[in-house]
Amino acid sequence: MSDNPVTIVGLLGVNLDRGHGSKRWTKWRPTPSLFQQDDLEVARMVLLYDSDYAAMANAVRRDIRNLSPNTSVELVLVRFDDPWDFEEVYGALHEFAHGTSFTEDEELLVHITTGTHVAQICLFLLVEAGFLPGKLLQTRPPRRDESVGGYSIIDLDLGRYDRIATRFEAERREATGFLKEGIDTKSPAFNSLIDRIERVAAATTAPLLLMGPTGAGKTRLAKRIAALKQQRKQVEGALVVVNCATIRGDGAMSALFGHVRGAFTGAASDRSGLLRQADGGVLFLDEVGELALDEQAMLLRAIEEKTFLPVGSDREVSSDFQLIAGTNRDLREAVAEGRFREDLLARIDLWTFRLPGLAERREDIEPNLDYELEQQSRLHNRRVRLNREARTRFLQFAGSPEATWTANFRDLNAAVTRMATLSDSGRIDTTVVDEEVGRLRDAWRVTQRDVVYEVMGDLADEMDRFDRAQMAEVITVCRASRSLSEAGRMLFAVSRQRKKSSNDADRLRKYLAKWGLSFDEVRLRA
Amino acid sequence: MLTLDGCMGEGGGQVLRSSLSLSARTGQAFRIDNIRAGRRKPGLLRQHLTCVRAVAEVCGAEVEGASLGSTRLVFRPGPIRAGTYHFAIGSAGSAHLVLQTLLPVLWAADGESEVVVEGGTHNDWAPPFPFLDRAFAPAVSSMGAVLDLALEAHGFYPAGGGRVRALVAPSRFQPLEWVERGAIAQVRPEAVVSGIPTRIAVDEIRVMASALNVPVSRPRTVEDPMGPGNLCWLDVEFETGSAVFCGFGKKGVSSHRVAKQAVKAFKQWRAVDVPVDEFLADQLLLPLSFAGSGTFRTTEPSLHTRTNAEVIQAFTGQQFRFEDEGTGAFRVTLG
Repeated sequence: MSDNPVTIVGLLGVNLDRGHGSKRWTKWRPTPSLFQQDDLEVARMVLLYDSDYAAMANAVRRDIRNLSPNTSVELVLVRFDDPWDFEEVYGALHEFAHGTSFTEDEELLVHITTGTHVAQICLFLLVEAGFLPGKLLQTRPPRRDESVGGYSIIDLDLGRYDRIATRFEAERREATGFLKEGIDTKSPAFNSLIDRIERVAAATTAPLLLMGPTGAGKTRLAKRIAALKQQRKQVEGALVVVNCATIRGDGAMSALFGHVRGAFTGAASDRSGLLRQADGGVLFLDEVGELALDEQAMLLRAIEEKTFLPVGSDREVSSDFQLIAGTNRDLREAVAEGRFREDLLARIDLWTFRLPGLAERREDIEPNLDYELEQQSRLHNRRVRLNREARTRFLQFAGSPEATWTANFRDLNAAVTRMATLSDSGRIDTTVVDEEVGRLRDAWRVTQRDVVYEVMGDLADEMDRFDRAQMAEVITVCRASRSLSEAGRMLFAVSRQRKKSSNDADRLRKYLAKWGLSFDEVRLRA
Repeated sequence: MLTLDGCMGEGGGQVLRSSLSLSARTGQAFRIDNIRAGRRKPGLLRQHLTCVRAVAEVCGAEVEGASLGSTRLVFRPGPIRAGTYHFAIGSAGSAHLVLQTLLPVLWAADGESEVVVEGGTHNDWAPPFPFLDRAFAPAVSSMGAVLDLALEAHGFYPAGGGRVRALVAPSRFQPLEWVERGAIAQVRPEAVVSGIPTRIAVDEIRVMASALNVPVSRPRTVEDPMGPGNLCWLDVEFETGSAVFCGFGKKGVSSHRVAKQAVKAFKQWRAVDVPVDEFLADQLLLPLSFAGSGTFRTTEPSLHTRTNAEVIQAFTGQQFRFEDEGTGAFRVTLG
């Protein structure tokens, strides 16, 4: 225990603390027993009593003074007409807690062995809520070989109990493992992101925003979060997945919010809408930045008030769902351009998680490869695997900066699917891998033309094809590299070997600057 | 700095209490580790802490680790100040353990002191007041100690509420030579009850008297009792001094058995033909150390006594000799 002076708050036990004559010392009385402990020193005792028991309170105070002359005893009158009435007892004790000052440097113990069970519950609640800033204290009668009985202090900070903490940790690990679909990911950044998501998902029903490039696994993760919440009974309803890019245009409003019969031509019957279907469950709105402004306004209202108007209806319907939004665009930019409502962004940007692309977590390629092979095995009903040489060759390519993984896990999934399909026996060999590497290279080369647009915008049209090809390669390498230096080493790898000193980073910086670009811009304008 | 292992010898509070007394008297700072290691409640308990605080107050010591449950204490004493002191041990711990730690310190002060200690006065694991008053005080007085004890209120475990007042003056200790008992002059059976029927004390006195064939005496009753309690004892006067043998009343133990406890202790001591009993032997080591030399004969020294000798040696270099005479008698000699 700390060296701070101890203050005990407790109720006079009108039955347990009662005692007459010298016989009272042969009976266990919880409150006086606190002052017979050879390892507990109490500076101040605040004894709450009812006016009917004033004489008894005074007798107990005399006994305490006798047992522990250095303890100051304060009797505080607390009146309950019915000590079994929860509301009354809680009110009286709360008022006491509110009106009593406890200093920072006194250690407060709240004795719960005396008083009705209702009083015990109220004291527990007051301690747990921090209104009585201390720990719970309980006393027990003497064992056979003792004469004064014992006490124990209950700290409600569960993290302090080893066995409980271990159990929580195991549950948490199970949950994060669940979110990762059992894939033993190695990337520290990704793992800590999943830890954060697990904690937040367990603690809140507020919207979550998953940001990340296409194919980074937003939908997969949203599904796992929903499943975890269902498993934990935090939501009861279903998961509804909507890709906002696919419901643009006229039908969007009705698809999301539903309509009533006759709302418009062709509305032959009522439609409940996706938001209504998600009632009590989870709604995942992927590519939320693609929603039109009208739908955004309606969505904001649906999030804030949990009600909305179906198309053509004058009766509001309600739906209470956990929203998970996904986006691969910078929504702030979209706000600046007037394409996304600022108030809606503020509402969904409370818990934002950035999922890194596969190229940024190369250490996770291998466990994900195993996961994909596992999926293929299940699909083809036979074991699909790479032989050792093929595996080494594939991972070598997959981990090199040359592999840009532009579509992230979608690329990896496609690659494994193709390889599994092309291998007769389910054993993928080097020939199949080499072919696949060629295919991936081609695919990424095609997209390279577009990356110049991504970074330079319309300026790309004013570039010579010669410059564009060069720029495309530079951007590709920059995006696959962690730093300017790494990209520089990659780009100037050949000339580098002939030189004594290298200034590749500087060369690259100058090249980019010529086009008005910086390394960070190239990476961020994805 | 002198470092002691709290586990040495009997490994309880004794090492601490003797160290505190010796430290204050010698001005020697000390550190003690592993205080009460291995006990169910390790470290300092309230009674120990009260001793630490009491001695620290009297000699203005600088103390580290003086908190409940602490297993390590550093104590740097200052000059001893005579004065009026008041300590309360709380939890009905023994007031006498505090008093016995303080007395050696106050005997070395520069003036008279008055000290009041509140707590238990008749506890069964510490010397009860009759022992202090009728065995310990006369023995140390004969060596030159100035001490006047008064029991102002009885305190029995677990209710406590006892109070002892001691008047102490600076004292020079003379070497002790106490080897012969001589004839036993008087054995008086005594008993006191608090908050329980007087009949119990009457019974105890009668059992002791008839066992030893001595006259009965009047039982004592605590007026205004705080809590229940009972003690019986044999007050023994012999040619060269006095001794006290106790039986401690306990709930569920018959008065007959309590009385027999005292009788048995007395008979064991009487059979060996030494002047000093086991408990007094323990209490005489510090006074002997202050005198510089001396010798006495006693029954087999307890672990407490031997531990005490070790602590004294650690502080002063003085070495006690324990000679087994082979008849159950031991000769304890210093210098």
